[in-house]
Amino acid sequence: MAKRLLPVIIWLSFYYTPFPSLAGSTREQALEYLNSAKIPDTSIFWPNVKRHLFIANLKANIDSPLSLYQGSNTNFCGYAAMSYLPLQDDPLTYTRFLIALYIDGTASWGNIRFKPTTDVQKAAGTLHFKGILDIRHADQMWFLSLADHFRGYLNFFWPNFHPGSEDTFWAAVNYAKFNRMIRQVAGYHTDATGSDIFRPHFKDLYAYLTNCLKTGTTYLYVNNTYLHKKNHAKERFRNSFPTHYIVLTDIRKISNDPNDDTVDIIYWDYGGRTLRQVSLRFLGKILFGVTHCTPPQPPVSN
Amino acid sequence: MAAKILYRILLFAALVQTWSCTSLNITNYYRKHQSTLDSIEVVYKQAYAKKPFSIEFTDRPFSRLSLELITDTLTYIYEYTIGEPRLQDTLLRYGYDTASINNIIGNMRSMECTWVDNLDYYTEEQKHSLIYISLWPRGFNSPFVNKKYYILTYFQTRQYYDTEGRLLVGRRLRRIRKINADVFRRINDRMAYTISDRFR
Repeated sequence: MAKRLLPVIIWLSFYYTPFPSLAGSTREQALEYLNSAKIPDTSIFWPNVKRHLFIANLKANIDSPLSLYQGSNTNFCGYAAMSYLPLQDDPLTYTRFLIALYIDGTASWGNIRFKPTTDVQKAAGTLHFKGILDIRHADQMWFLSLADHFRGYLNFFWPNFHPGSEDTFWAAVNYAKFNRMIRQVAGYHTDATGSDIFRPHFKDLYAYLTNCLKTGTTYLYVNNTYLHKKNHAKERFRNSFPTHYIVLTDIRKISNDPNDDTVDIIYWDYGGRTLRQVSLRFLGKILFGVTHCTPPQPPVSN
Repeated sequence: MAAKILYRILLFAALVQTWSCTSLNITNYYRKHQSTLDSIEVVYKQAYAKKPFSIEFTDRPFSRLSLELITDTLTYIYEYTIGEPRLQDTLLRYGYDTASINNIIGNMRSMECTWVDNLDYYTEEQKHSLIYISLWPRGFNSPFVNKKYYILTYFQTRQYYDTEGRLLVGRRLRRIRKINADVFRRINDRMAYTISDRFR
């Protein structure tokens, strides 16, 4: 009897383990691969990427994936947010991919073949005045390659990379493109509610987000002019569109009073986690999309 | 009669345009208020070295502030009204130097400083940091253009400028340095300023 139950118990233990341990690989495997990889001193495909900065960057991302930084004043936030999943769950594939990209100039991630253009290859390693992204050459390669490969309607009038394009609509990420990247790169199932223009309606936003957090990774598509204010202008037009992606990691009410809708939200963006007190009304006002990501189902064994 | 009204409207529009173009001479402003502005920088730098944080005033009357308390694992962002006991409780709870922070808050209000922060920047792969102080827009602002903030940056070391007084990357690297996508100009060897539509 015990022998018959054993495969069932093993299968159940895999199936119900929280998703980080469903990971395709571990940090140790990624570090081991990085340490044993033969990485040439220079790459003819990436002339401005410095080997020592490339390796240091990969190590930093494997060791502390939350420190991934999109760079100041760039439009890379969608790519950085999406990278949260593979860096947490499958750092080995991420490391293998970037090393192959550095050596060969092209590389495959699952079924996707990345062939960055020459302009993008020349630009990696030259992005300056972006904070720590200046010395993170692997991140520059990664973000530029993602922006070059995944295109959406916002990029329509900016088809080619030019110096400075990282700050323009060339790198912008609309909501459909963001969800597509998660499905194709991270392999996750996405359940998305929202759009680039209209705010979604949630009967009970707190209950909805709490439920999402219990069962997977939750991304919020928000208007950053309120969340990360940069000026005090009351511009109705600019404040009416979503501009930023964050990973919501926790939400909790701070009071039992039903009239008090203040919550603590903890989210990840800009290379770190932030706890902030906001009202649910405010959150609803800045929220344009919620993407609930669940890991791929483990294969069912007969 | 109609011509007279039209004349008055045009005169009013011309005056508005003139006022909106009036800009503060930030170098003179800095010299006039040097002791207070330098005091913000010195006290902030010392307090930041003990425990990192930044302060933002979120409204025009300078009565509401947002405090970012930065720890190794999490950045806490809380908003307060000036004089609220909760502010002092939070500072004590997270182990901040209340006297220094209250001093900075007082000086920020008197100078109408909307944001103070520590920014990291990189030169030849080396990390450096500067203190970034934003002042609320001065003078009359046209309703049709964005408000312009006056930004002061305090560097730790001597900086290099071109003949037009624009901040350069370094002595050998003669490229113009941008901070938050803005070009900065010389106040003195260790300080630069810009006028920007963003306070951070």
